[in-house]
Amino acid sequence: MKYQSFVGLEIHIQLISKTKVFCSCPNHFGDEPNSNVCPVCLGYPGALPSLNEEAVFKALKVCKALDCYINEKVIFDRKNYFYPDMPKNYQITQFESPFGVDGFFNLELDDGSIKKIRIHDVHLEEDAGKMIHDGYQSRLDYNRAGTPLLEIVTEPDLVAGRDAELFVQQFRQMVRYLDVTDGNMEEGSLRCDANTSINLPGKGLGTKTEVKNLNSSRFVNKALTYEIKRHGKVIDKGGEIIQETRLWDEKTSTSKSMRTKEDSHDYRYFPEPDLPPYRVTDVLMKEVEDSMVELPNDRKKRYMDDLKLSFDQAAFITGERKTADWFDSLLSIGSDANQAASWLSGDIQKILNKEDVLLENSPFIPKRIKELFELINDKKISNNIGKEVLQAIFKEDKDPSVIVKDKGLEQVSDSGAVEKIVEEVLAAHPAVVDAVRAGDDKQVGFLMGQLMKATGGKVNPQMAREIIVNKIKLDISGDSQSRDPKIIEKGSEK
Amino acid sequence: MSIKSDRWQNLLSDDSLWKSYNEYVNKWEKSIGSFLQFDADKTKGDSSSDGLLKGMPFGVKDNIAVKGFDMTCGSKILENFNCPYTSTAVQKLQGAGAVVVGKMNMDEFGMGSSTDNSALGETNNPWDKSRVAGGSSGGSAASVAAGQVPFALGSDTGGSVRQPASFCGVYGLKPTYGTVSRYGLTAYASSLETIGICAESTAITRDVFNTMKGIDNMDNTTVDYKPSGKDDTEIIAVLKVGENDLSEDVLNSYRVSQQRLKDLGYKLIEVELPTLKYVVPAYYVIATAEASANLARFNGIRYGLAQKGAETPSDLMQMSRNSGFGDEVKLRILLGTYVLRSGFQDQYYHRAQKIRTAILNDFNRIFEEADALMLPVFPTAAFRHGSSDLTQLQQKAADLYTCSANLAGLPALAVPSTIEKGLPVGVQFTAPAFEEERLFRISEKLEEIFPAQKPEGFSEEWKI
Amino acid sequence: MEKSELLKTAALAKLKLDEQEADKLAVEVTAMLENFSLMMEADVEGLEPTTQTLQQENRTRSDSPGSSNLSNDLLDRVPEREDRFIVIPNVI
Ligand SMILES: [Mg+2]
Ligand SMILES: [Zn+2]
Repeated sequence: MKYQSFVGLEIHIQLISKTKVFCSCPNHFGDEPNSNVCPVCLGYPGALPSLNEEAVFKALKVCKALDCYINEKVIFDRKNYFYPDMPKNYQITQFESPFGVDGFFNLELDDGSIKKIRIHDVHLEEDAGKMIHDGYQSRLDYNRAGTPLLEIVTEPDLVAGRDAELFVQQFRQMVRYLDVTDGNMEEGSLRCDANTSINLPGKGLGTKTEVKNLNSSRFVNKALTYEIKRHGKVIDKGGEIIQETRLWDEKTSTSKSMRTKEDSHDYRYFPEPDLPPYRVTDVLMKEVEDSMVELPNDRKKRYMDDLKLSFDQAAFITGERKTADWFDSLLSIGSDANQAASWLSGDIQKILNKEDVLLENSPFIPKRIKELFELINDKKISNNIGKEVLQAIFKEDKDPSVIVKDKGLEQVSDSGAVEKIVEEVLAAHPAVVDAVRAGDDKQVGFLMGQLMKATGGKVNPQMAREIIVNKIKLDISGDSQSRDPKIIEKGSEK
Repeated sequence: MSIKSDRWQNLLSDDSLWKSYNEYVNKWEKSIGSFLQFDADKTKGDSSSDGLLKGMPFGVKDNIAVKGFDMTCGSKILENFNCPYTSTAVQKLQGAGAVVVGKMNMDEFGMGSSTDNSALGETNNPWDKSRVAGGSSGGSAASVAAGQVPFALGSDTGGSVRQPASFCGVYGLKPTYGTVSRYGLTAYASSLETIGICAESTAITRDVFNTMKGIDNMDNTTVDYKPSGKDDTEIIAVLKVGENDLSEDVLNSYRVSQQRLKDLGYKLIEVELPTLKYVVPAYYVIATAEASANLARFNGIRYGLAQKGAETPSDLMQMSRNSGFGDEVKLRILLGTYVLRSGFQDQYYHRAQKIRTAILNDFNRIFEEADALMLPVFPTAAFRHGSSDLTQLQQKAADLYTCSANLAGLPALAVPSTIEKGLPVGVQFTAPAFEEERLFRISEKLEEIFPAQKPEGFSEEWKI
Repeated sequence: MEKSELLKTAALAKLKLDEQEADKLAVEVTAMLENFSLMMEADVEGLEPTTQTLQQENRTRSDSPGSSNLSNDLLDRVPEREDRFIVIPNVI
């Protein structure tokens, strides 16, 4: 690679709250246009902002998770520019002294190595309304105007499109863990702007361009990969990069210029006189710390190191916090980690996918799964019957013990009873018995299958296999002491 | 001492009294034009039938929200803008039984010292119709002076309540910043302005202030009211003024008030405010900077004037703002935008904020020695309409005595002092934050010696 | 102040000035800026800026929805609308 590349991200997340950040209108998606509006969020003359404490709390949670320095005196600023989706024509945001600065995020790269990505700052601001363009006019809906938005700005520590994609994915996972946003990129709950520059090694940052409104982590990768390549081509030809904002066009897989620096804004930031500075107290910070959860990458590491789960299993289970919480609560009542992990990532997930139900909303409550494991581990049912029971738990929303009892699925482990059934099966298939005797061990499987068929799978399979093998092979060895005369008889008949 | 509200007890319930009240107000309206809207019936139902201010009619400057009335801010951009909500301050007064009877004329968005900058009407001084009532709360002061209402709300960003009060011979209070909620007050310069009171007596001023003050969840800049408890004054600092600082009439009036204070037994000490010469530029930098953002919301999209024929949103905004705003408003928006532009902030905006600290330090030094400070309100008495007496620039420079209190957030009260050549002249007192009561007590003592005078045509006959 | 600076400032403030207006305002703005330059004499060495109010305590609101909904009243005041949408010329 001839050039060094630098990528920084600005990520906006919509915070979960009951009301907007500066007024008590509902913060709710999907309502009738302009129904969640009031004099404050419509920028009426005389209306004033009033800060939502929940937004403050959630902002601090993110700051804490990113290990930011929390400013003692947090100041809101006005960012001035005219745009129809912004009622006051200034945005209340934070500029000089935001909630958090100088944090970092441990990004896990594809090879498993960790890269520290520095966080420039975390600031709280208000969102704009929505504009729908149709032909000759634009329609405005201000329901979203004034909803709480948290902006996280990274330093240009990312190198390639793939890094940025991973960052968006892992960051999204983290903020979902923190329960501060739903992180839905398609709906705009998590929005990403990416800036990039390239330069010869050792020369520092180059002239940057910014790509706006990337609404999936894949597009982040594609757009940045494209931009880095484009910069390289321009510089190779002796050209200069123009500092500008560009838009990613997914249809053509190219970026195109939106506005250059010349017509960029002069935002004229100044402290918001309607909001006094906010001083973060130790008491509040303690509450924030108490509310923190183990973050996904830490949890994944713990699962691999302490529980010896595979990377894939650990990654799967920690993908969603609710899944990991479910897993932990199953372990906390005494289930084995490996058994839990393989069932969770296997049959349980299969059913949930097929039925399109979330684990936390399913009848698979940890207590039931623990009971299921015990039935299997105590050999009261076979592993295969266990799968059947799992299906039944989902369909009937009942405890496994009840299902096993109702359906009479309890495994037959009484050796006398098993022997009796084995004998019947062997008698019915003398040719196969001969084949086994002749050394074709694979045919034992056939006999097992027949046995299971005959019993509805209820026979303890290990015991059954042992008995089958013993009955046939012992016959060969001629160990009469343990021979079952009936089988010998049958065998001799042949 | 509290007001005797029995004078107003029956105004609402007695039809013939109500009728004669309407007639009296309308008679004055022909000559002074203090109201932009007068409708004594419109919001009667929103007022409590009981309370400290029971039945008392009052006017509200037209930049303060009263549901049912329009709120024009004296601007074409809000002409016919019917206000859908009520400000906290007015709600509290209505809760105490007072009745909004109309909206008062003002300089457009509070920008001016004459009310001549109103796009929607002219207001004359009740003492001399060829002269201005002052501004920007000119309608409020004029209506009180004429006896149309016993009090009216104004707003004071750099002297906009005290200066017209002085011009019209009534009491004018700018409260401590943050003691009266600004929710519902159309913002001009948010960090400087407060809702203020023009009133016919100190007692009414006090009761209205005490009714309005208090923390409001809708205004995060409202503060806990925490006076020192030392309500009586022994020492009054008097700002030293030079022969050329004030007109002859005002200087004379200033000396008269000084003598009265001495006679009343106050100990007077003469002081200077070294930062005073910088307060006008600092004030205008901060006020215009904040105004440039506060007035950005008027863009023809959600309410107010929308110019037809625009082809782009940008056109719509520019055309609406261009035809909706008057010259003075445009000038101040341009100035405010300029001083905030990158590269100019340090020189203007940041420096002005430091001067703000310097004036506050000046005041603090004085209040270490004195309980209150006396200073002039305005260098002249009411001037003539137009710029024959004072140009717009001179009018701005004359804000120096009033705007210091806004920069420092302190309470200040204009008190009628004398009548000079047929025109009232007031004097101003300021005190540390939350010491309004100290100002009221000084004012009451002066009121006993020299109560507010009444212009010709003033009558209370309709009340009988 | 240069007229070009004035027009640049006007554009930021979404004001469209015609020639005559611009000339007149240029004179007035210049006069005010001269007045502002008086501040340069002031000794502000070591002074912290006062940007805010007397408010020293944190002021926040609990995250609970308001009881009244004015949205229909507010929509009634919109100059151009289509059903519940506010309508403006298209953004190019
Ligand atoms: Mg932002
Ligand atoms: Zn709202």
